[in-house]
Amino acid sequence: MQDKITGFRCKKCKKIHYPYHDRCIKCKGREFEEVDMGSECELVTFTELTALPTGFDQRVLNLGVVEFPAKVRATAQLIGENFRIGQKLRAKWGLTREVDGEEFYGIQCFPVEKR
Amino acid sequence: MRKVVIVGVGMTKFGRRVEGLMQLLSEASLAAMDDAGIGDKPLDAVYVSNMAGGILNHQTALGSSLVDRLSLLPAAAETVENGPASGSSAIKNAYFSIASGAYDLVMVTGGEKMGDVPGFVATDAVATMSHPEAEYPLGITLPSLAAMFTKLYMERYGITSDQLAMVALKNHLNGLKNPYSHIRGDFILEGVLHCPEAIVNNPYIAEPLRLYDCCPVSDGAASVILCAEEKAKEFTTVPVTIAGFGQATDHQTVHEREDPTDLKAVTLAAKKALDMAKLTPKDIDVAELHDAFTILEIAQSEHVGFFKKGEGGKAVEAGLTQIGGKIPINPSGGLKSRGHPVGATGVAQVVELVWQLRGQAGERQVKNASKGFSLNFGGFGNNVIAFVLKKGA
Amino acid sequence: MAVNLEEKLRPPELPMAPYPPKTVMLRDGRIMVVREASREEVPVLLKAVHPTLFVDSDFYDLVGSRLYSELLGWVKHRVRNEFCLVGLVDRELWGIVNSRMYDKNLGISLHTLTLKRGFRVGQHLFAAKMEHHMDFLGQNEVYITAEGPIGFRKWMIEFELEYDPNVQHELGGARSFTLTRALWEKHKPRLCVGRRPVAKELLDASYPIRIPDDWEISAQVALESGQKRAAEEIKAMERKFKKDTEASV
Repeated sequence: MQDKITGFRCKKCKKIHYPYHDRCIKCKGREFEEVDMGSECELVTFTELTALPTGFDQRVLNLGVVEFPAKVRATAQLIGENFRIGQKLRAKWGLTREVDGEEFYGIQCFPVEKR
Repeated sequence: MRKVVIVGVGMTKFGRRVEGLMQLLSEASLAAMDDAGIGDKPLDAVYVSNMAGGILNHQTALGSSLVDRLSLLPAAAETVENGPASGSSAIKNAYFSIASGAYDLVMVTGGEKMGDVPGFVATDAVATMSHPEAEYPLGITLPSLAAMFTKLYMERYGITSDQLAMVALKNHLNGLKNPYSHIRGDFILEGVLHCPEAIVNNPYIAEPLRLYDCCPVSDGAASVILCAEEKAKEFTTVPVTIAGFGQATDHQTVHEREDPTDLKAVTLAAKKALDMAKLTPKDIDVAELHDAFTILEIAQSEHVGFFKKGEGGKAVEAGLTQIGGKIPINPSGGLKSRGHPVGATGVAQVVELVWQLRGQAGERQVKNASKGFSLNFGGFGNNVIAFVLKKGA
Repeated sequence: MAVNLEEKLRPPELPMAPYPPKTVMLRDGRIMVVREASREEVPVLLKAVHPTLFVDSDFYDLVGSRLYSELLGWVKHRVRNEFCLVGLVDRELWGIVNSRMYDKNLGISLHTLTLKRGFRVGQHLFAAKMEHHMDFLGQNEVYITAEGPIGFRKWMIEFELEYDPNVQHELGGARSFTLTRALWEKHKPRLCVGRRPVAKELLDASYPIRIPDDWEISAQVALESGQKRAAEEIKAMERKFKKDTEASV
């Protein structure tokens, strides 16, 4: 099972994609190598959703767009509360929802613990 | 390419309907056929636009079903799916089929039946248009994408919650003048934003968007009859010409767009449509934009070119987009009040423009309207279609 | 002998504090008075509820029929410590909620019926009902169930109610969810609103309760639910009711 967040770097022009594209956004190349995007990211925008779709039992779901180093962005579930734009988060790959018994996985982000 | 005109329009009342999907599609189709005075004339083709029939109603191949139900055999028939832009995509297909010379007389009917299922099921069905790996698995819904967009737009351009509510208020008041609209009721800003009870009257759906920022889930259908310009005189209505068409796509995920507040596909589609019609935004007399969320009406009005970036909110506040204003937007009530049966919306936008250009819009008539503009926002702005319509042939 | 028998047939009552009325501003600026109804007002409430028995959508028929019997039970002293709150706009009945006390600590939520839709009346009145249990009757727990998905979404999810598999709700043995003191304090600021005190003139003006047209509310409910047939049946009942009334005069 995948346990890291995987980006896709174009072998020709080195642009990192998330999610996967069959042709590079920049140079239209077709060969990619997997790259570990790491776990550090920053919150770009977010929302607290209360009208949830199928497969959720909780009242609210926090969702956001985060940016990893090298300016690669992703959409993620945010676990916690009181988020703010620019906040530093820690990302991991995890089980995000279940619909009719089918499991879905994606990026989940947590606040970075203050040291 | 030949000129294409619209000779008949019709729609059902939008809302919670007891009729099934095919009944709604038929009702709208017959209304348009009667409006055109089709009589026994055979149609060359029928395009049906629908997004979620397969998911919500266990029905697919709606085009094939409709031509049989209406005894229009052996007309060609297709079902067109492009999310919330399905209606405009179907009109686009019909337009090119006539412009190319392949067909002379074509009907486009769009419809959706969404009210039979619980809200979270309808929400989920619409959410299937999000990215299957990077967005849908997280529980992303269209309101959540709109909310994240709104947050960035507010931060960048200073749009206020009051301005968003004014979009809804304008559209609700317009909707009260539209006998076909779903949501029929006015409100005051104090009641939905400023009084202590507002938190219950107008709860958050996806912060900062609230109930009154979001269009309803509706049932309904709308239909247009198109024909080649040279055949228009066979019908009894005032023809309206499709003078311009534009379509553009953008990244499916919102997060991959370089500037998520930049609705590139809207700008491009609108420019293509206006250029084809040899017009500028200033020439447009009336517009139907895609206000699935109040922020979208403001953002689209700017990206189309009716207002400068960042000025759309102030324009609403100043009343410039009301029926008697500088550029009336959504005189029908828009998606917010007229309703949003997803597959019907693009067609309903054109139906309203035709009524406006013919002078048949009753209490919501924009005076002397002769050039109309519609924008249908597929996905979350990653597949956008625009039309420019002109009165006359 | 008869007096003793009636005493035995009535459930033993607990002392109950009255519900202090409040006003709520609705979306269009209209003011809804939320107050307790009295047993004397039950006949007009029954008249308003009766047509909903025939509206087969959004569980109106089930909720209406159960509420009807609970109101009868209340007026005939066969339900323990029942109370009924009404939402009135210009005396017009827009919604009814009812509940009862099981004991000093525990309340049982019964029903919520909205007659005028599109104004969040159900949300306001359900929260008022919980407010009465928790803040005025001094209880600490309320058992709640929902007959339909609208109720489930608005109560179980919004209040984050706790499901207790050991409890059968008295409404048909349905799954029971509990509002605890902690959940009430957490969600009350967001879900329970209103202003007190109510000016005497406004409160006096909320009597007597008015139903605009005997059957209009339920016909409206039926029409809004797309129930053309139910709305026509209700209109036919109205015509027959009027004819029978005229014939009997």
